[in-house]
Amino acid sequence: MSKRSLVDLFRWIAILVVLAVLLFPLFWIIASSLKARGEFFTRPPVWVPSNPEWLNYPDSLRRGGLKGLTDSFTIAFCSMAISVLLGAPAAYAIARFQVGKKNLAFWILSIRMFPPIATILPLFVIFRFVGLVDSYAGLVLCYTVFNLPFAIWILKGFIEELPREIEEAAKVDGATRFQIFRNIALPLTAPGLVVVALFTFIFAWNDFAYAVIFSGSNVTPLPVVIAQFAGGHEILWGQISAAAIMAILPALVLATFLQKYLTRGLTMGAVK
Amino acid sequence: MVGPAVAVLFLMTIGPLLFSLVVSFTNLQFSAPQPMRWVGIDNYLTLLLKDSRFLTAMVRTLSYVLAGVVIQSLLGYFIASLLLHVHRFRALVLGPILIPSVISSVVAGWQGRMIFNASYGPLNDLLARIGIKGPAWLAFPQTALVSVLLTDTWQWTPFLALVILAALQSQPQELIEAARLDGAHGWSLFRRITLPLILPVAGIGILLRGVDLFKTFDLVYILTQGGPGNSSETLTFLTYLQGFKFFNPSYASAMSFIQLIVITIVAKSYLGLVTRRGAL
Repeated sequence: MSKRSLVDLFRWIAILVVLAVLLFPLFWIIASSLKARGEFFTRPPVWVPSNPEWLNYPDSLRRGGLKGLTDSFTIAFCSMAISVLLGAPAAYAIARFQVGKKNLAFWILSIRMFPPIATILPLFVIFRFVGLVDSYAGLVLCYTVFNLPFAIWILKGFIEELPREIEEAAKVDGATRFQIFRNIALPLTAPGLVVVALFTFIFAWNDFAYAVIFSGSNVTPLPVVIAQFAGGHEILWGQISAAAIMAILPALVLATFLQKYLTRGLTMGAVK
Repeated sequence: MVGPAVAVLFLMTIGPLLFSLVVSFTNLQFSAPQPMRWVGIDNYLTLLLKDSRFLTAMVRTLSYVLAGVVIQSLLGYFIASLLLHVHRFRALVLGPILIPSVISSVVAGWQGRMIFNASYGPLNDLLARIGIKGPAWLAFPQTALVSVLLTDTWQWTPFLALVILAALQSQPQELIEAARLDGAHGWSLFRRITLPLILPVAGIGILLRGVDLFKTFDLVYILTQGGPGNSSETLTFLTYLQGFKFFNPSYASAMSFIQLIVITIVAKSYLGLVTRRGAL
Protein backbone atom coordinates (compact mmCIF):
# COMPACT_ATOMS: atom_id res chain seq x y z
CA MET A 1 0.00 0.00 0.00
CA SER A 2 1.42 3.38 -0.96
CA LYS A 3 2.02 6.08 1.61
CA ARG A 4 -0.67 8.23 0.12
CA SER A 5 -3.45 5.71 0.34
CA LEU A 6 -2.38 4.88 3.89
CA VAL A 7 -2.85 8.55 4.83
CA ASP A 8 -6.24 8.49 3.14
CA LEU A 9 -7.18 5.41 5.11
CA PHE A 10 -6.33 7.08 8.43
CA ARG A 11 -8.20 10.18 7.35
CA TRP A 12 -11.34 8.15 6.68
CA ILE A 13 -11.01 6.34 9.99
CA ALA A 14 -10.80 9.72 11.74
CA ILE A 15 -13.85 10.99 9.84
CA LEU A 16 -15.84 7.91 10.78
CA VAL A 17 -14.87 8.38 14.44
CA VAL A 18 -16.03 12.02 14.28
CA LEU A 19 -19.30 10.95 12.66
CA ALA A 20 -19.84 8.28 15.29
CA VAL A 21 -19.36 10.78 18.12
CA LEU A 22 -21.68 13.30 16.47
CA LEU A 23 -24.42 10.83 15.66
CA PHE A 24 -24.25 8.72 18.79
CA PRO A 25 -26.53 11.00 20.88
CA LEU A 26 -29.15 10.83 18.13
CA PHE A 27 -28.92 7.07 18.10
CA TRP A 28 -29.33 7.16 21.87
CA ILE A 29 -32.53 9.23 21.70
CA ILE A 30 -34.00 6.99 19.02
CA ALA A 31 -33.15 3.91 21.06
CA SER A 32 -34.56 5.56 24.20
CA SER A 33 -37.78 6.47 22.46
CA LEU A 34 -38.34 2.74 21.91
CA LYS A 35 -37.42 1.47 25.36
CA ALA A 36 -39.92 0.13 27.86
CA ARG A 37 -39.98 1.77 31.31
CA GLY A 38 -37.80 -0.83 33.01
CA GLU A 39 -35.08 -0.57 30.40
CA PHE A 40 -34.04 2.89 31.57
CA PHE A 41 -32.85 1.72 34.96
CA THR A 42 -30.47 -1.12 34.29
CA ARG A 43 -26.71 -1.21 34.75
CA PRO A 44 -25.12 -1.46 32.29
CA PRO A 45 -27.73 0.46 30.27
CA VAL A 46 -29.68 -1.16 27.47
CA TRP A 47 -28.17 -0.02 24.17
CA VAL A 48 -30.67 -1.49 21.78
CA PRO A 49 -34.14 -2.21 23.15
CA SER A 50 -34.95 -5.88 22.62
CA ASN A 51 -38.65 -5.29 22.20
CA PRO A 52 -39.39 -1.85 20.70
CA GLU A 53 -42.02 0.00 22.73
CA TRP A 54 -43.79 1.95 19.98
CA LEU A 55 -46.46 3.11 22.40
CA ASN A 56 -44.11 5.85 23.67
CA TYR A 57 -45.01 7.89 20.59
CA PRO A 58 -48.81 7.96 20.87
CA ASP A 59 -48.43 8.31 24.62
CA SER A 60 -46.24 11.39 24.32
CA LEU A 61 -48.66 12.87 21.80
CA ARG A 62 -51.52 12.30 24.22
CA ARG A 63 -49.68 13.94 27.12
CA GLY A 64 -49.27 17.30 25.41
CA GLY A 65 -47.00 16.41 22.52
CA LEU A 66 -49.73 16.85 19.93
CA LYS A 67 -50.62 20.30 21.24
CA GLY A 68 -46.91 21.11 21.28
CA LEU A 69 -46.53 20.01 17.67
CA THR A 70 -49.50 21.98 16.37
CA ASP A 71 -48.60 25.08 18.44
CA SER A 72 -44.99 24.99 17.27
CA PHE A 73 -46.10 24.50 13.70
CA THR A 74 -48.64 27.36 13.80
CA ILE A 75 -46.18 29.80 15.33
CA ALA A 76 -43.22 28.83 13.16
CA PHE A 77 -45.35 28.93 10.02
CA CYS A 78 -46.79 32.39 10.76
CA SER A 79 -43.39 33.82 11.60
CA MET A 80 -41.99 32.33 8.41
CA ALA A 81 -44.82 33.77 6.30
CA ILE A 82 -44.47 37.27 7.76
CA SER A 83 -40.69 37.24 7.43
CA VAL A 84 -40.84 36.24 3.78
CA LEU A 85 -43.71 38.61 2.91
CA LEU A 86 -42.16 41.66 4.56
CA GLY A 87 -38.58 40.61 3.96
CA ALA A 88 -38.69 40.12 0.18
CA PRO A 89 -39.72 43.69 -0.78
CA ALA A 90 -37.34 45.15 1.81
CA ALA A 91 -34.48 43.03 0.53
CA TYR A 92 -35.23 44.04 -3.03
CA ALA A 93 -35.25 47.73 -2.16
CA ILE A 94 -31.97 47.42 -0.30
CA ALA A 95 -30.27 45.38 -3.01
CA ARG A 96 -31.39 47.53 -5.92
CA PHE A 97 -31.82 51.04 -4.50
CA GLN A 98 -29.35 50.85 -1.60
CA VAL A 99 -31.96 52.05 0.89
CA GLY A 100 -30.48 52.08 4.38
CA LYS A 101 -27.88 49.42 3.64
CA LYS A 102 -25.48 50.51 6.38
CA ASN A 103 -28.18 50.64 9.05
CA LEU A 104 -29.47 47.24 8.09
CA ALA A 105 -26.06 45.61 8.51
CA PHE A 106 -25.75 47.21 11.91
CA TRP A 107 -29.22 46.10 12.87
CA ILE A 108 -28.65 42.50 11.84
CA LEU A 109 -25.43 42.32 13.78
CA SER A 110 -26.85 43.84 16.92
CA ILE A 111 -29.90 41.60 16.94
CA ARG A 112 -27.61 38.62 16.49
CA MET A 113 -25.44 39.85 19.39
CA PHE A 114 -28.10 40.79 21.92
CA PRO A 115 -28.69 38.22 24.58
CA PRO A 116 -32.40 37.43 24.03
CA ILE A 117 -32.93 38.03 27.72
CA ALA A 118 -32.15 41.74 27.17
CA THR A 119 -35.20 42.16 24.94
CA ILE A 120 -37.33 39.47 26.58
CA LEU A 121 -37.52 41.37 29.86
CA PRO A 122 -38.98 44.64 28.56
CA LEU A 123 -41.12 42.74 26.03
CA PHE A 124 -42.58 40.71 28.85
CA VAL A 125 -43.56 43.85 30.75
CA ILE A 126 -45.09 45.33 27.59
CA PHE A 127 -46.77 42.07 26.52
CA ARG A 128 -48.30 41.68 29.95
CA PHE A 129 -49.70 45.16 29.65
CA VAL A 130 -51.27 44.57 26.22
CA GLY A 131 -52.26 40.95 26.87
CA LEU A 132 -49.86 39.24 24.49
CA VAL A 133 -48.30 36.87 27.03
CA ASP A 134 -49.38 33.29 26.40
CA SER A 135 -50.74 34.11 22.94
CA TYR A 136 -49.77 32.95 19.46
CA ALA A 137 -49.41 36.52 18.23
CA GLY A 138 -46.89 37.32 20.97
CA LEU A 139 -44.53 34.50 20.08
CA VAL A 140 -44.93 35.09 16.34
CA LEU A 141 -43.91 38.71 16.90
CA CYS A 142 -40.87 37.68 18.95
CA TYR A 143 -39.59 35.31 16.29
CA THR A 144 -40.23 37.78 13.52
CA VAL A 145 -37.84 40.15 15.26
CA PHE A 146 -34.89 37.92 14.59
CA ASN A 147 -36.27 36.17 11.50
CA LEU A 148 -37.05 39.32 9.55
CA PRO A 149 -33.55 40.84 9.52
CA PHE A 150 -32.21 37.39 8.69
CA ALA A 151 -34.66 37.07 5.78
CA ILE A 152 -33.80 40.52 4.45
CA TRP A 153 -30.10 39.88 4.71
CA ILE A 154 -30.08 36.49 2.99
CA LEU A 155 -32.54 37.56 0.26
CA LYS A 156 -30.50 40.67 -0.40
CA GLY A 157 -27.54 38.39 -1.13
CA PHE A 158 -29.62 36.30 -3.54
CA ILE A 159 -31.06 39.34 -5.34
CA GLU A 160 -27.63 40.90 -5.76
CA GLU A 161 -26.55 37.77 -7.61
CA LEU A 162 -29.30 38.23 -10.24
CA PRO A 163 -28.30 39.91 -13.50
CA ARG A 164 -29.68 43.43 -13.64
CA GLU A 165 -30.19 43.39 -17.42
CA ILE A 166 -33.59 41.64 -17.38
CA GLU A 167 -34.98 44.15 -14.93
CA GLU A 168 -33.60 47.04 -16.93
CA ALA A 169 -35.17 45.68 -20.11
CA ALA A 170 -38.54 45.47 -18.35
CA LYS A 171 -38.11 49.04 -17.18
CA VAL A 172 -37.55 50.15 -20.74
CA ASP A 173 -40.76 48.29 -21.69
CA GLY A 174 -42.64 50.44 -19.21
CA ALA A 175 -43.03 48.13 -16.22
CA THR A 176 -43.40 49.80 -12.82
CA ARG A 177 -40.94 49.11 -10.01
CA PHE A 178 -43.45 46.93 -8.24
CA GLN A 179 -44.26 44.96 -11.40
CA ILE A 180 -40.57 44.35 -11.95
CA PHE A 181 -40.21 43.16 -8.38
CA ARG A 182 -43.26 40.90 -8.50
CA ASN A 183 -43.05 39.47 -12.00
CA ILE A 184 -39.32 39.31 -12.56
CA ALA A 185 -37.15 39.54 -9.46
CA LEU A 186 -39.36 37.47 -7.17
CA PRO A 187 -39.68 34.37 -9.40
CA LEU A 188 -35.95 34.46 -10.07
CA THR A 189 -35.19 34.51 -6.34
CA ALA A 190 -37.28 31.38 -5.76
CA PRO A 191 -34.33 29.33 -4.38
CA GLY A 192 -33.55 32.17 -1.99
CA LEU A 193 -37.16 32.29 -0.85
CA VAL A 194 -37.13 28.56 -0.15
CA VAL A 195 -33.90 28.82 1.82
CA VAL A 196 -35.22 31.72 3.87
CA ALA A 197 -38.59 30.07 4.44
CA LEU A 198 -37.03 26.87 5.73
CA PHE A 199 -34.48 28.62 7.92
CA THR A 200 -36.94 31.06 9.49
CA PHE A 201 -39.29 28.16 10.13
CA ILE A 202 -36.56 26.16 11.86
CA PHE A 203 -35.33 29.10 13.95
CA ALA A 204 -38.82 29.63 15.34
CA TRP A 205 -39.42 25.89 15.65
CA ASN A 206 -36.20 25.33 17.61
CA ASP A 207 -36.34 28.34 19.92
CA PHE A 208 -36.61 27.80 23.63
CA ALA A 209 -35.74 31.08 25.40
CA TYR A 210 -38.73 33.08 24.11
CA ALA A 211 -41.02 30.08 24.17
CA VAL A 212 -40.45 29.23 27.81
CA ILE A 213 -41.13 32.78 28.95
CA PHE A 214 -44.02 33.79 26.71
CA SER A 215 -45.90 30.51 26.79
CA GLY A 216 -48.52 29.48 29.31
CA SER A 217 -51.54 27.25 29.52
CA ASN A 218 -52.91 28.43 26.14
CA VAL A 219 -49.79 28.15 24.05
CA THR A 220 -47.21 25.43 24.61
CA PRO A 221 -44.65 24.99 21.83
CA LEU A 222 -42.97 21.60 21.63
CA PRO A 223 -39.63 22.57 23.25
CA VAL A 224 -41.54 23.87 26.28
CA VAL A 225 -43.52 20.64 26.45
CA ILE A 226 -40.28 18.67 26.41
CA ALA A 227 -38.76 20.86 29.13
CA GLN A 228 -41.89 20.45 31.26
CA PHE A 229 -41.79 16.68 30.78
CA ALA A 230 -38.14 16.67 31.78
CA GLY A 231 -38.60 18.86 34.83
CA GLY A 232 -41.58 16.97 36.27
CA HIS A 233 -41.59 14.81 39.37
CA GLU A 234 -41.72 11.61 37.45
CA ILE A 235 -39.47 11.71 34.40
CA LEU A 236 -41.03 9.88 31.47
CA TRP A 237 -37.84 8.98 29.65
CA GLY A 238 -39.42 7.13 26.75
CA GLN A 239 -42.14 9.70 26.08
CA ILE A 240 -39.72 12.64 26.24
CA SER A 241 -37.38 10.92 23.82
CA ALA A 242 -40.28 10.28 21.46
CA ALA A 243 -41.23 13.97 21.62
CA ALA A 244 -37.58 14.90 21.03
CA ILE A 245 -37.50 12.76 17.89
CA MET A 246 -40.59 14.54 16.59
CA ALA A 247 -38.97 17.88 17.41
CA ILE A 248 -35.89 17.17 15.28
CA LEU A 249 -37.70 15.92 12.18
CA PRO A 250 -38.01 19.35 10.47
CA ALA A 251 -34.34 19.98 11.16
CA LEU A 252 -33.45 16.70 9.49
CA VAL A 253 -35.45 17.75 6.45
CA LEU A 254 -33.50 21.00 6.39
CA ALA A 255 -30.14 19.27 6.69
CA THR A 256 -31.03 16.92 3.86
CA PHE A 257 -32.58 19.23 1.30
CA LEU A 258 -30.71 22.45 1.95
CA GLN A 259 -27.25 21.06 2.47
CA LYS A 260 -25.86 23.37 -0.18
CA TYR A 261 -27.17 26.44 1.61
CA LEU A 262 -26.69 25.35 5.22
CA THR A 263 -23.48 27.24 5.88
CA ARG A 264 -24.83 30.31 4.19
CA GLY A 265 -27.90 30.34 6.41
CA LEU A 266 -26.10 29.50 9.63
CA THR A 267 -23.49 32.22 9.15
CA MET A 268 -26.04 34.86 8.18
CA GLY A 269 -24.74 34.81 4.63
CA ALA A 270 -21.14 35.54 5.61
CA VAL A 271 -19.99 32.31 3.99
CA LYS A 272 -21.51 31.45 0.63
CA MET B 1 -40.86 48.83 0.42
CA VAL B 2 -38.61 48.83 3.46
CA GLY B 3 -41.24 50.55 5.57
CA PRO B 4 -43.23 47.63 7.02
CA ALA B 5 -40.10 45.68 7.88
CA VAL B 6 -38.46 48.62 9.61
CA ALA B 7 -41.63 49.40 11.54
CA VAL B 8 -41.86 45.88 12.97
CA LEU B 9 -38.18 45.83 13.89
CA PHE B 10 -38.31 49.23 15.49
CA LEU B 11 -41.37 48.46 17.57
CA MET B 12 -39.91 45.20 18.75
CA THR B 13 -36.26 46.07 19.40
CA ILE B 14 -35.41 49.72 19.92
CA GLY B 15 -38.68 50.43 21.73
CA PRO B 16 -38.35 47.68 24.33
CA LEU B 17 -34.65 48.39 24.78
CA LEU B 18 -35.28 52.04 25.56
CA PHE B 19 -38.05 51.00 27.90
CA SER B 20 -35.67 48.58 29.57
CA LEU B 21 -33.00 51.26 29.89
CA VAL B 22 -35.48 53.50 31.69
CA VAL B 23 -36.60 50.65 33.94
CA SER B 24 -32.98 49.90 34.88
CA PHE B 25 -32.79 53.31 36.59
CA THR B 26 -35.85 52.61 38.75
CA ASN B 27 -36.71 50.19 41.52
CA LEU B 28 -39.61 48.52 39.69
CA GLN B 29 -40.51 45.14 41.18
CA PHE B 30 -43.30 42.73 40.30
CA SER B 31 -43.69 41.22 43.75
CA ALA B 32 -43.85 44.27 46.02
CA PRO B 33 -46.46 46.76 44.85
CA GLN B 34 -44.33 49.69 46.04
CA PRO B 35 -44.57 52.87 43.98
CA MET B 36 -41.98 52.94 41.22
CA ARG B 37 -39.16 55.29 42.12
CA TRP B 38 -36.24 56.75 40.19
CA VAL B 39 -33.03 55.41 41.72
CA GLY B 40 -30.41 56.64 39.25
CA ILE B 41 -27.46 54.32 38.79
CA ASP B 42 -27.99 52.49 42.09
CA ASN B 43 -28.75 49.18 40.38
CA TYR B 44 -25.56 49.41 38.34
CA LEU B 45 -23.44 50.33 41.38
CA THR B 46 -24.82 47.45 43.42
CA LEU B 47 -24.18 45.02 40.59
CA LEU B 48 -20.63 46.08 39.90
CA LEU B 49 -19.46 46.74 43.45
CA LYS B 50 -21.46 44.54 45.79
CA ASP B 51 -23.16 41.68 43.99
CA SER B 52 -20.63 38.86 44.23
CA ARG B 53 -23.07 36.38 42.69
CA PHE B 54 -23.28 38.54 39.57
CA LEU B 55 -19.52 39.12 39.38
CA THR B 56 -18.81 35.42 39.82
CA ALA B 57 -21.29 34.64 37.05
CA MET B 58 -19.53 37.20 34.86
CA VAL B 59 -16.11 35.60 35.36
CA ARG B 60 -17.63 32.13 34.94
CA THR B 61 -19.37 33.10 31.71
CA LEU B 62 -16.28 34.73 30.23
CA SER B 63 -14.12 31.69 31.04
CA TYR B 64 -16.84 29.48 29.58
CA VAL B 65 -16.82 31.51 26.36
CA LEU B 66 -13.03 31.43 26.14
CA ALA B 67 -12.81 27.68 26.77
CA GLY B 68 -15.63 27.00 24.31
CA VAL B 69 -14.19 29.16 21.54
CA VAL B 70 -10.70 27.64 21.86
CA ILE B 71 -11.87 24.01 22.05
CA GLN B 72 -14.41 24.34 19.26
CA SER B 73 -12.03 26.21 16.97
CA LEU B 74 -9.33 23.57 17.39
CA LEU B 75 -11.73 20.69 16.91
CA GLY B 76 -13.42 22.52 14.05
CA TYR B 77 -10.09 23.07 12.32
CA PHE B 78 -9.19 19.42 12.82
CA ILE B 79 -12.46 18.21 11.28
CA ALA B 80 -12.26 20.75 8.46
CA SER B 81 -8.73 19.72 7.50
CA LEU B 82 -9.83 16.08 7.48
CA LEU B 83 -12.67 16.90 5.12
CA LEU B 84 -10.57 19.20 2.95
CA HIS B 85 -8.53 16.33 1.55
CA VAL B 86 -11.46 14.03 1.01
CA HIS B 87 -13.18 14.52 -2.29
CA ARG B 88 -15.20 11.42 -2.94
CA PHE B 89 -18.22 11.06 -0.65
CA ARG B 90 -17.59 14.45 0.95
CA ALA B 91 -21.15 15.57 0.20
CA LEU B 92 -22.38 12.36 1.75
CA VAL B 93 -20.57 13.14 5.01
CA LEU B 94 -21.44 16.84 5.28
CA GLY B 95 -25.19 16.37 5.79
CA PRO B 96 -24.95 13.99 8.75
CA ILE B 97 -22.11 16.02 10.30
CA LEU B 98 -24.28 19.11 10.41
CA ILE B 99 -27.32 17.49 12.01
CA PRO B 100 -26.37 18.51 15.58
CA SER B 101 -26.24 22.19 14.56
CA VAL B 102 -29.77 22.29 13.19
CA ILE B 103 -31.64 20.54 15.99
CA SER B 104 -33.32 22.30 18.89
CA SER B 105 -31.16 23.09 21.91
CA VAL B 106 -33.84 21.54 24.09
CA VAL B 107 -33.31 18.23 22.35
CA ALA B 108 -29.54 18.63 22.74
CA GLY B 109 -30.09 19.34 26.42
CA TRP B 110 -32.38 16.38 26.81
CA GLN B 111 -29.94 13.93 25.28
CA GLY B 112 -27.27 15.47 27.52
CA ARG B 113 -29.42 14.62 30.51
CA MET B 114 -29.54 10.99 29.38
CA ILE B 115 -25.94 10.67 28.27
CA PHE B 116 -24.44 12.31 31.36
CA ASN B 117 -26.71 10.37 33.71
CA ALA B 118 -24.31 9.03 36.34
CA SER B 119 -25.86 5.62 36.96
CA TYR B 120 -27.76 4.74 33.81
CA GLY B 121 -26.09 6.85 31.12
CA PRO B 122 -24.00 5.46 28.25
CA LEU B 123 -21.04 7.77 28.89
CA ASN B 124 -20.17 6.36 32.30
CA ASP B 125 -20.91 2.89 30.97
CA LEU B 126 -18.32 3.38 28.23
CA LEU B 127 -15.84 4.84 30.71
CA ALA B 128 -16.40 1.90 33.06
CA ARG B 129 -15.59 -0.52 30.25
CA ILE B 130 -12.13 1.01 29.91
CA GLY B 131 -11.70 1.04 33.68
CA ILE B 132 -12.49 4.67 34.51
CA LYS B 133 -15.09 5.55 37.08
CA GLY B 134 -16.99 8.47 35.55
CA PRO B 135 -18.19 11.31 37.78
CA ALA B 136 -21.82 12.24 38.41
CA TRP B 137 -21.48 14.78 35.60
CA LEU B 138 -24.46 17.01 36.24
CA ALA B 139 -24.49 16.68 40.03
CA PHE B 140 -20.93 17.83 40.79
CA PRO B 141 -20.07 21.54 40.94
CA GLN B 142 -16.77 20.76 39.19
CA THR B 143 -18.31 18.99 36.21
CA ALA B 144 -21.76 20.57 35.77
CA LEU B 145 -20.61 23.47 33.61
CA VAL B 146 -18.16 21.16 31.82
CA SER B 147 -21.12 18.99 30.82
CA VAL B 148 -22.95 22.04 29.51
CA LEU B 149 -19.86 22.99 27.52
CA LEU B 150 -19.46 19.45 26.17
CA THR B 151 -23.07 19.49 24.98
CA ASP B 152 -22.60 22.85 23.31
CA THR B 153 -19.37 21.62 21.72
CA TRP B 154 -21.15 18.55 20.40
CA GLN B 155 -23.86 20.73 18.92
CA TRP B 156 -21.83 23.56 17.39
CA THR B 157 -18.39 22.25 16.45
CA PRO B 158 -19.80 20.89 13.14
CA PHE B 159 -21.00 24.36 12.24
CA LEU B 160 -17.58 25.85 12.93
CA ALA B 161 -15.89 23.01 11.05
CA LEU B 162 -17.98 23.80 7.99
CA VAL B 163 -17.17 27.49 8.11
CA ILE B 164 -13.46 26.72 8.46
CA LEU B 165 -13.76 24.21 5.62
CA ALA B 166 -15.28 26.90 3.41
CA ALA B 167 -12.40 29.21 4.34
CA LEU B 168 -9.80 26.52 3.63
CA GLN B 169 -11.34 25.74 0.27
CA SER B 170 -11.15 29.33 -0.86
CA GLN B 171 -7.44 29.82 -0.16
CA PRO B 172 -5.40 30.02 -3.35
CA GLN B 173 -3.49 26.77 -3.84
CA GLU B 174 -0.62 28.49 -5.71
CA LEU B 175 0.24 30.49 -2.61
CA ILE B 176 0.46 27.36 -0.48
CA GLU B 177 2.61 25.63 -3.13
CA ALA B 178 4.89 28.65 -3.41
CA ALA B 179 5.33 28.77 0.37
CA ARG B 180 6.08 25.02 0.40
CA LEU B 181 8.75 25.49 -2.24
CA ASP B 182 10.25 28.26 -0.14
CA GLY B 183 10.59 25.75 2.68
CA ALA B 184 7.58 26.61 4.84
CA HIS B 185 6.22 23.54 6.63
CA GLY B 186 3.89 22.53 9.41
CA TRP B 187 3.48 25.23 12.01
CA SER B 188 5.20 28.04 10.14
CA LEU B 189 3.16 27.33 7.02
CA PHE B 190 -0.01 27.41 9.10
CA ARG B 191 0.89 30.55 11.04
CA ARG B 192 2.31 32.61 8.19
CA ILE B 193 0.12 31.54 5.28
CA THR B 194 -2.97 29.49 6.14
CA LEU B 195 -4.08 31.36 9.26
CA PRO B 196 -4.05 34.87 7.75
CA LEU B 197 -5.85 33.50 4.68
CA ILE B 198 -8.67 31.77 6.51
CA LEU B 199 -9.08 34.28 9.34
CA PRO B 200 -11.45 36.72 7.62
CA VAL B 201 -14.04 33.98 7.06
CA ALA B 202 -13.24 31.62 9.94
CA GLY B 203 -13.11 34.66 12.23
CA ILE B 204 -16.78 35.40 11.59
CA GLY B 205 -17.75 31.85 12.47
CA ILE B 206 -15.70 32.05 15.66
CA LEU B 207 -17.28 35.39 16.54
CA LEU B 208 -20.79 33.98 16.12
CA ARG B 209 -19.78 31.08 18.33
CA GLY B 210 -18.39 33.41 21.01
CA VAL B 211 -21.55 35.49 21.01
CA ASP B 212 -23.76 32.41 21.29
CA LEU B 213 -21.64 30.91 24.06
CA PHE B 214 -21.98 34.18 25.93
CA LYS B 215 -25.76 33.94 25.56
CA THR B 216 -25.96 30.31 26.76
CA PHE B 217 -29.32 29.89 28.42
CA ASP B 218 -31.24 26.93 27.02
CA LEU B 219 -28.66 24.27 27.85
CA VAL B 220 -28.17 25.57 31.38
CA TYR B 221 -31.92 25.64 31.87
CA ILE B 222 -32.40 22.05 30.71
CA LEU B 223 -29.22 20.46 32.02
CA THR B 224 -28.48 22.03 35.39
CA GLN B 225 -30.79 24.97 36.20
CA GLY B 226 -27.57 26.75 37.19
CA GLY B 227 -26.74 24.18 39.86
CA PRO B 228 -25.53 22.44 41.86
CA GLY B 229 -25.39 25.52 44.06
CA ASN B 230 -24.63 28.29 41.59
CA SER B 231 -21.79 26.37 39.98
CA SER B 232 -23.12 26.50 36.41
CA GLU B 233 -24.99 29.78 36.55
CA THR B 234 -24.27 31.82 33.43
CA LEU B 235 -25.04 35.54 33.10
CA THR B 236 -28.14 35.07 31.00
CA PHE B 237 -29.47 32.43 33.35
CA LEU B 238 -28.88 34.68 36.37
CA THR B 239 -30.64 37.54 34.56
CA TYR B 240 -33.55 35.22 33.85
CA LEU B 241 -33.71 34.26 37.54
CA GLN B 242 -33.64 37.92 38.64
CA GLY B 243 -36.32 38.94 36.18
CA PHE B 244 -38.68 35.99 36.17
CA LYS B 245 -38.08 34.08 39.38
CA PHE B 246 -37.16 36.87 41.83
CA PHE B 247 -39.51 39.31 40.02
CA ASN B 248 -36.97 42.07 39.96
CA PRO B 249 -37.16 43.55 36.43
CA SER B 250 -35.31 46.77 37.20
CA TYR B 251 -32.29 44.96 38.60
CA ALA B 252 -32.38 42.40 35.79
CA SER B 253 -32.57 45.18 33.19
CA ALA B 254 -29.45 46.79 34.61
CA MET B 255 -27.83 43.36 34.48
CA SER B 256 -28.73 42.89 30.83
CA PHE B 257 -27.32 46.30 29.90
CA ILE B 258 -24.01 45.48 31.56
CA GLN B 259 -24.01 42.28 29.48
CA LEU B 260 -24.68 44.24 26.32
CA ILE B 261 -21.75 46.51 27.07
CA VAL B 262 -19.42 43.61 27.91
CA ILE B 263 -20.38 41.62 24.82
CA THR B 264 -19.90 44.68 22.61
CA ILE B 265 -16.46 45.44 24.08
CA VAL B 266 -15.31 41.82 23.80
CA ALA B 267 -16.64 41.45 20.24
CA LYS B 268 -15.13 44.76 19.12
CA SER B 269 -11.69 43.99 20.52
CA TYR B 270 -11.86 40.50 19.03
CA LEU B 271 -12.75 41.94 15.62
CA GLY B 272 -9.89 44.41 15.97
CA LEU B 273 -7.52 41.53 16.73
CA VAL B 274 -8.76 39.43 13.81
CA THR B 275 -8.59 42.20 11.23
CA ARG B 276 -5.07 43.13 12.38
CA ARG B 277 -3.92 39.52 12.15
CA GLY B 278 -5.72 39.09 8.86
CA ALA B 279 -3.81 42.01 7.38
CA LEU B 280 -0.44 40.47 8.22
